[in-house]
Amino acid sequence: MIAVAERVFALLALVAIVVAIATALALARRRVPDWLRDDVALPLATAIAAVATGGSLLASEVAGYVPCVLCWYQRIAMYPLVIVLGVASARRDTEVWRTALPLSGIGAGIAAWHIAIERRPSLGAEVCDPVAPCALRWVEEFGFLTLPTMALIGFVAIAVLSLAARRSPMPAGREPNPPDTAGSLTDPTSTV
Amino acid sequence: MSNAATMRRDAKRRAQRRSQLLYAGIAVGVVILAVLVAVLSTGERERAVSVEDIAGDPAISGDPLTTLPASGDDPAVGAAAPTVEGADFEGTPVAIGGTGSPELVMFMASWCPACQQELPEVVAWMEAGGVPEGVQLVSVATGLDASRPNWPPDAWFEEEGYTGRVLVDDADGSVAQAFGLSATPFWVALDADGQVVARIAGMLDITQMTALAEVAAASSG
Repeated sequence: MIAVAERVFALLALVAIVVAIATALALARRRVPDWLRDDVALPLATAIAAVATGGSLLASEVAGYVPCVLCWYQRIAMYPLVIVLGVASARRDTEVWRTALPLSGIGAGIAAWHIAIERRPSLGAEVCDPVAPCALRWVEEFGFLTLPTMALIGFVAIAVLSLAARRSPMPAGREPNPPDTAGSLTDPTSTV
Repeated sequence: MSNAATMRRDAKRRAQRRSQLLYAGIAVGVVILAVLVAVLSTGERERAVSVEDIAGDPAISGDPLTTLPASGDDPAVGAAAPTVEGADFEGTPVAIGGTGSPELVMFMASWCPACQQELPEVVAWMEAGGVPEGVQLVSVATGLDASRPNWPPDAWFEEEGYTGRVLVDDADGSVAQAFGLSATPFWVALDADGQVVARIAGMLDITQMTALAEVAAASSG
């Protein structure tokens, strides 16, 4: 059961890699499709944060993989993103990247360091804590997807998706759309 | 005009809802597909060898050493180390202390990446004849945990080509506790009288291994 769950999370991480690369390319070309920016980016970023949070809780509470110090730091960055992005997604808050980007950036940095220690323990303390060593690879799917690797993918995907959800700067003389018109009684774009 | 605008708005909302349902459906489909692929591609993980199959039943005599502090002087230096009578993976008797020779004891956990990096160094050191004459090198397989990677430890020692003596700890890590292990790899140098000369937690390079073994040998006079 745990092995299946690990494989599911690893497969979803592969999907997240594709999403992150495609979104990053769209950002680099300054051609983020409307459907991605308006309807998909924030809900998908929320889903990624939620899956990452669920995966980390499953790993520690069900599988019994004791989180190390660096795991906890990554959790501190990832868990709030579920709420931050979820609320932003519901409110269509396109400015959430200002909060999501620092959190995901810090998380990605810690995850990258964690991966380095996993690959080369001599970079860290050169010892294994008997209870929760940071260098221990509890999970290693497809030869490279360890827990911090999946976390790094999640953080990067969330960062690029929150950037993709930004409103493009409006040309001079035009007002940007309000954050949410769904459910309002008046159409702000109509000129009655 | 107002009705037309309302109709346009309603149509836009309906289209938006259809799109959202489509995207949600795609997301659910991806998750279901991932579960199916995972179920079909994940075989039974073989954990046929249990901790009980591997764990030894070492007899420990003497007072346990205090846990090695993270910094500062080691209070255990000069103290008499516990003596241990145990066995290797095949059941051949292996002892620590009371041998009348200086000893270098290294505690290794097969799941520990630092130990995984250290053991090949030890093998290279042994093959190069680095262990000083008269010094007994013995490894303790500790931290036995079948749920962690690189299990079982006997296969790991064999794969790495380690041909020295191995004493297998019990499931509770009693030998490691008796020697005050703080982390792995963990090194303890004993003189010929079984007194602690030095304890080190962490990876050593070949030069440091030689130095530690020579200190043990020198302390034995």
